[in-house]
Amino acid sequence: MEFLKRFAKRLGFTLLTILAMSVLIFFLVEIMPGDVAQTVLGQSATEESVAALRDRMGLDDPLHERYLRWAGGFIRGDLGESLYMRGVQINTIFWRKVGHSVVLALTALLFYVPLSILFGVFAGVKEGKAPDAIISFVGLATMALPEFVSGIILITVFAVGLEILPIASIIPIGENLWQNLDILVLPALSITFVMFGYVSRMQRSSMVSVMKADYIRAAILKGMPRKYVIFRHALKNALLPTITIIGMNMGWLFGGLIVVETLFGFPGLGSLTMSAIKTRDIPLIEACVLFITFIFVFATFTTDMLYAFLNPRIRYKRGDA
Amino acid sequence: MKKSIIVCAVFLLAAATAFAGGAQETEEKMTIKVAEQVPNLITPGAWDGQAFSLNGSIYDYLIEMDANTGELVPSLATEWDSPEGKVWTFKLRKGVKFHDGSDFTSADVKFTLERTQDPELGHLKAQDFENLEKIETPDDHTVVITLKEAAPTFNFIFTDYNMAILSSEYDYASKGESAPMGTGPFKLEKLVPKESALLVKNNNYWDSGLPKADELRIYFVPDIDSSVSLLEAGEVDIVPQISPIIKKRLESMDGFKVVSPYQESRFIALADDREPFSDNRVRLAFKYTMDPEILAKACQGTLGETIFYNETPIVNALAQYKKIPFRGRDIDKAKKLLAEAGYPDGLSVDFFYASDHPYGSDIAQTLKELSAPAGIELNLKGFPRDIYLSQHWMNGPMLLTGWGVRVDPSMLLMLAFHSEGPWNESHLDNPRIDELIEKIRGEVDPEVRQTYYDELQEIFHEEGTVINLQVPYLVGVSDAVTDYRQPVTMLPQLEYTTIK
Amino acid sequence: MNTYLLQLKRSPRAIAGLAILLIWIFAAIAGPSLLSYSYTEMDMNNQMVAPGQEGHLLGTDALGRDVFSRIIYGSRSILTIALLTSLLSSIAGIIIGFTAGYFGGIVDTIFLRIMDILMAIPPLVLAMVVLGILGNSTIVGLTIIVSIAFTPATARVARGALLTCKSTEYVDAARIRGESHIYIMFVEILPNTIGPVIVEITARFAYSIMMIASLGFLGVGLQPPTPDWGMMVIENKSLIRAAPWTVLYPSLAIASLVIAISLFSDFVSKVMINED
Repeated sequence: MEFLKRFAKRLGFTLLTILAMSVLIFFLVEIMPGDVAQTVLGQSATEESVAALRDRMGLDDPLHERYLRWAGGFIRGDLGESLYMRGVQINTIFWRKVGHSVVLALTALLFYVPLSILFGVFAGVKEGKAPDAIISFVGLATMALPEFVSGIILITVFAVGLEILPIASIIPIGENLWQNLDILVLPALSITFVMFGYVSRMQRSSMVSVMKADYIRAAILKGMPRKYVIFRHALKNALLPTITIIGMNMGWLFGGLIVVETLFGFPGLGSLTMSAIKTRDIPLIEACVLFITFIFVFATFTTDMLYAFLNPRIRYKRGDA
Repeated sequence: MKKSIIVCAVFLLAAATAFAGGAQETEEKMTIKVAEQVPNLITPGAWDGQAFSLNGSIYDYLIEMDANTGELVPSLATEWDSPEGKVWTFKLRKGVKFHDGSDFTSADVKFTLERTQDPELGHLKAQDFENLEKIETPDDHTVVITLKEAAPTFNFIFTDYNMAILSSEYDYASKGESAPMGTGPFKLEKLVPKESALLVKNNNYWDSGLPKADELRIYFVPDIDSSVSLLEAGEVDIVPQISPIIKKRLESMDGFKVVSPYQESRFIALADDREPFSDNRVRLAFKYTMDPEILAKACQGTLGETIFYNETPIVNALAQYKKIPFRGRDIDKAKKLLAEAGYPDGLSVDFFYASDHPYGSDIAQTLKELSAPAGIELNLKGFPRDIYLSQHWMNGPMLLTGWGVRVDPSMLLMLAFHSEGPWNESHLDNPRIDELIEKIRGEVDPEVRQTYYDELQEIFHEEGTVINLQVPYLVGVSDAVTDYRQPVTMLPQLEYTTIK
Repeated sequence: MNTYLLQLKRSPRAIAGLAILLIWIFAAIAGPSLLSYSYTEMDMNNQMVAPGQEGHLLGTDALGRDVFSRIIYGSRSILTIALLTSLLSSIAGIIIGFTAGYFGGIVDTIFLRIMDILMAIPPLVLAMVVLGILGNSTIVGLTIIVSIAFTPATARVARGALLTCKSTEYVDAARIRGESHIYIMFVEILPNTIGPVIVEITARFAYSIMMIASLGFLGVGLQPPTPDWGMMVIENKSLIRAAPWTVLYPSLAIASLVIAISLFSDFVSKVMINED
């Protein structure tokens, strides 16, 4: 019952957040300087052509009416029409790119989750010794690097030096991403660089505290094999905070994709956002930013629920959200 | 723990099935792959000079230019004639069909020409066709155009990239950008906006030997570095509009070459209608700070070989060009002129440009360095090309813009230097220049016309609002490409191109 | 104070971080006057010279400008903006977070909800959209927008810090004395939360560097010819084969600065948090 209550409460807040963000994004983008119709038609447009387009797009309607029209479209799954490419529905471009970014994010997840858990556990077990110091230094350093810096280093090594992986990525016409998995490797590695630090640090510190817990000490004192204790008992309990941090970072990761995708020219949501900004394609900017926000809110919500579900102490605890 | 693994696995599986599938091509086809930087399809008439491979392949023009000789050659018009330049008769090619199967007739030409006057469209050739008195179509394959005033070089307008011949029965207002349709050598099969376009051979093309390739694949890659990486990786064959630095890099590698089909201009426009350049002494002062040799090197070229400089709208390569010696860099003189104009302590001016356009950022930064010693401080305002063109171009005291060369310079003069030109970016309003431009357009005798051109260039040198830096248009191609043709009309003629 | 120094002595990582940071600060302040080239000086006879040749320690770029000088000059803008944004966003965060936490109740609830909502949009995305649409960033504009983007996060930290010592004796004493709310918040409470606040500012400093470099890379940072490190990377990306030094050295400059600050801020957080 408590769980359901918490679920309902969090869900309500999540929806409220999305609603508030949609208002914020819409007004932020719409109040920016520059006439939208003029942007579409260019500086040499005649007054008549600007007026005609303003009329067709309903730009002279009051702001709240335009918001309702826009938000209503969103709820029905209609993201509107691109400004930059007239006659092109955003839906026809958007979901394909989102799909590519999801695959990229999952690939990165596949790289960094096992890697950082493994090294985090290792560092935690060897607390205070040389391996711990090295792992935590590497984690700290890679975490601090902006994605494009680690990306440039990766390009220099793997694409320019060894020439084994592509610098830029396109998906040939008629093929799909699965036939071109090599274009995922360098972008996913750049993300791994950044995420490794966060996750391995979290894994290490929870491992350290679990290893100090009485029941683990007791198990070791009882003469149970150390490896068995670490992997059967300690890890099980030390994973929970790590899962939380991975989930929480999913939304953040989607924001970071903008930099990575720009560097590699990867055809995903990030480069779509960038190109929308560069061409001032207002409806497309709104769709991209709202979706990134949505991913963030959704990831937070899911993680929260997963945490509550997996952690009995929270599941049965009375208390505030 | 197991739960989360299962959740992940299900998610991955779902994603995998969603993206799986996709047909395998087995048949051997000749495919040309092009990486274009601009994912843009604009309703014909309002193109600002982008996505040429796409537009040039879908549409045809009445008259084409031979890429090798520079001569006008028949395309949809087989012959044209005008005894005095006032009444023009065009004979149209018979048996030509649009991609939708309809016949190409004189009605389509009439529609295309009348469309230039649609005020809602903002057609860029509107001014050129204001001179139109009437269009008659005595039969399906003849068009007779009567002008209000004689224009001996009127036929050149039909090579302009905005004069693609459209079908009178097709709805270009709503489909011009998502499903463009013409009589060209390739038909649009599939368009994935912001990603790619697949064009296939038009089997009914009027020139039965063309196009030589079966398929044209155009990838819209937003930045030039990625495009060239794709060229190097063999993913594409042709990358138009590369920068001079990339040219150096490609030339040092095996398997690639760089072609430079023509020169194009970078106009540094000094606005005549606002401070500080409304005063000709300030414009002159700025011109005295120039150093063409340095500018050429900033463009990674050599002055007089690949890079040219003058202070008029006419490019050095044209027959109409009048050689006027360079005034020389003279900082003292520049300072003196500035003091006379009321700026003894120098001045500062906003300089707008497209930062992601080839040569843009390099020229802008070099100009800032060159003019600084005279006390002219340029505040660089670089924007992505689309934002520059839609928000700042035609709107700032100082601009840097790429301009293609028009076959007949009078077209460019009318467009950009006449006080009523739609692209008069420096807001020039000089009665004598207007008068000369109009005389050039109406004069039948080439020698007399040249005297007008000469006077015009002298005026520009002394009090003009433009610095004309000419740079090569560069296209990176793989060695497998033969016969890449692109005349100064800027439209690539990919129908001739083959891939080994 | 001495205990901090003692702890610093025992942490070679923190010393290394601090040393690199001090070198960059020195470079930013004194560097430009010691250089033999200006950051805009173009030598068209020496374009893309390799490092160590023709007197160019780190080579030259495509316009013949000295890469070393540009990196040294570039440290000025990035350090200035990062310092300003970490201070500004922390000050704004303290004001907002303290007010909410201090008054509690409905004010606090509303505050928390608003901050949670605002945190749903990644700061980089927010800054990029606003800067991208406004275009043409200046140091002032960049500082303000990045600070705003960071404020929800700093406000939450400040609120948390305030809550830990809101109901202590000296706060009660001040209340009984009849001190104003502002006096209690900023004279009584602030000095006692200084640990977490300093931790936040140093951590924020590293984030700011990352953020500003990333914005420069995305082309919405400062305008040329200001040598912005992130912009130098994207500007020269096409030279990564022909003249890798023009891309690699600015990247390494960013890397060394963020790693140095992270090492130091890691130390600061250990010292400050353990002490409480």
